[in-house]
Amino acid sequence: MTDISMHLNTDEIELWAQGLLPAARAMHLADCSLCRVEAERERKVILQLVQLPKFAPSAGFADRVMAQVKVHAPSGDWTA
Amino acid sequence: MVAWAKQGHDAAFRELVRRYERPVFSLLYRMVRDRALAEDLAQETFIKVLNGIKSYRPEFKFSSWIFKIANNAAIDHLRRKSIDTLSLDGAPSAETPDQVRATSLQLGDRAESPLDEVESRELGTAIERAIARLRPEYRSCILLRHVEGYSYEEIAETLDLPLGTVKTYIHRARNELRGYLDDRRE
Ligand SMILES: [Zn+2]
Repeated sequence: MTDISMHLNTDEIELWAQGLLPAARAMHLADCSLCRVEAERERKVILQLVQLPKFAPSAGFADRVMAQVKVHAPSGDWTA
Repeated sequence: MVAWAKQGHDAAFRELVRRYERPVFSLLYRMVRDRALAEDLAQETFIKVLNGIKSYRPEFKFSSWIFKIANNAAIDHLRRKSIDTLSLDGAPSAETPDQVRATSLQLGDRAESPLDEVESRELGTAIERAIARLRPEYRSCILLRHVEGYSYEEIAETLDLPLGTVKTYIHRARNELRGYLDDRRE
């Protein structure tokens, strides 16, 4: 059992930011403003990272790839 | 799907491209911050993966294999580019080969070409610019961790890094990001 007065380590802060820290450890945040500030800052960065958009390559990307891939045709021939 | 693709079926290959083109392109785009170049590297990645699919080992996560090849392509590019930059600008005060590599990667990284209109709309936000300031090695770790949701173990396997190094990179990366984002507010 971890002592409730022990500061959270980086891994625990990451877990907390993701809502995964066990309640027994999360309780430490109620009493420790040092960890609270640290955890809040970390949560903000992680949230921004998690919300980053996915970008798509331009149209026809798959065709350009496929044009250069060896496909084993159903007939058994190799086509470029 | 991968087993089917291993037999070289066109439809399976297309499905794999469709499934992974966005994550792979997004990683590369954030690594090199140039749309056309990221697309070239993504294309190179998929061609390597699909032409080499027979050597794929199923005990390895398929997406890890793709990200490994994509990341190597990006790091190689950044390294080449930084060597060009160095030879143009003259070597810095680096003395050992390791120092040369370290400084050259950073130099190349800073000597960033200006973003065009689309790029600055996509990569101009504070968080994207903060990510751009990270060392490339930190950048791929943090993107795999928080954009792709990889575990530390998966990142270590994907990037061929010791687990402890991955943890250190990610913690430092988040620290640096916090610093860059705080700077902006002052
Ligand atoms: Zn504390």
